[in-house]
Amino acid sequence: MIEVLILTGFLGSGKTTLLGRLLRQPEFSRTAVIVNEFGEIGLDHDLIEASEDSLIELQTGCLCCKIRSDLAATIHDLLRRRDEGAVVPFTRIVIETSGLADPAPVLQTLMTDAAIAERVVLRGVVTTVDAVNGTATLDREEISAKQAAVADRLLLTKTDLARPQTALMRRLKELNATAPVQIAQHGQIAPRDLLNGCLYDPLTRSLDVRSWLGAEPDAHEHHHGIDTYALVRSEPLRAVTLTLFLEAIAEHCGADLLRLKGIVNILESPERPAVIHGVQHVFHPPSWLPRWPSDDRRSRMIFITRDIPRGWIEALLAALDAEVAAVSRGMPI
Amino acid sequence: MTAAPSDLLCELLTQSLLAWRITGEACLVGGGAILISGGCRRVLVKPAPSDLPFRWLVAIDGRERPAISIVAVLRQVRETLDPGYATRRVRIGAFPLVPP
Repeated sequence: MIEVLILTGFLGSGKTTLLGRLLRQPEFSRTAVIVNEFGEIGLDHDLIEASEDSLIELQTGCLCCKIRSDLAATIHDLLRRRDEGAVVPFTRIVIETSGLADPAPVLQTLMTDAAIAERVVLRGVVTTVDAVNGTATLDREEISAKQAAVADRLLLTKTDLARPQTALMRRLKELNATAPVQIAQHGQIAPRDLLNGCLYDPLTRSLDVRSWLGAEPDAHEHHHGIDTYALVRSEPLRAVTLTLFLEAIAEHCGADLLRLKGIVNILESPERPAVIHGVQHVFHPPSWLPRWPSDDRRSRMIFITRDIPRGWIEALLAALDAEVAAVSRGMPI
Repeated sequence: MTAAPSDLLCELLTQSLLAWRITGEACLVGGGAILISGGCRRVLVKPAPSDLPFRWLVAIDGRERPAISIVAVLRQVRETLDPGYATRRVRIGAFPLVPP
């Protein structure tokens, strides 16, 4: 499988600087980069210097505005050229989104295009946040808040210019309690630090769900209506309950479900938990882990939402669980 | 003791009104039926008779419609009470009961 890393962050937050430095590291050799730039004439790709065994593709226009097929076509083309030996046999794709882009459609493309989904695996979403202007940008620009909310890892940049303020750290925690926050020194970070904690572990070729889910959010905070919370259940869920639950969430939450990720104890598969991943109304087919990653066999689902009360999610699951249990026992209401 | 599906559905409908920002309420009115008032509309949800292949009956403006599950109840209630709601019917493929 070829891993895909999505690098996002608001305009001027240091994505290109970071990427340029990463591409000089041996760990990032054999990387194909898709740079999405906003505007007719791209510039960022000229600022990135890659080693000879990496390649850079340019897309202009904003991924969040253009139809997703553009990105899919670019990935298909890259994979075809790789298969034909026309480009280096890259093992990783980094998608650097435009600073104004909503990363959700990018995630959805990776999930919904069957030909892409069978060849690539999401390594994670890394969001850069500027330590100088980050707080103001998060206050002012909703897309910036969304970029932070969907991240698997938050990366503070420009810390040589300003120490990360408590207010910024608190704001990031409010937006995304589960993503670790790391600091890039002069636009640099050790590749292993950046990649640890992402979903797919290429060394073991397995899903590192514990790191991916992160710590359970302990608070119920709001910013731009964005909220992160966890549903934790000790009792296994019936597969039908989970199907109905996801269906209702997708139908009623739509774009307000920024991201859902979780590990679920399925009653019919007690030894092999399911990994679920959804972005807005799109859900990835569940992956099945070969075994539980720890002794903790509780279902844990992390919701990153906008204006969706936690009470509704909890009430929905409780009601569906009771109904499916009653039906399976042949009980009337 | 586990709560009855009607109690849980009533709580879900109460939470749904909050989530959809509809002023109103949902309350149990006996026999497992739930009356939902929101805006100028009223919807009555009641358990379907056991000889019908449905779980619920949803009465809107005097007309009863069957609902096979809570998901269907939720859809019908929202379509009635939330004028801004564009039905975005989604089908999640049946979750495999066991790993492939």
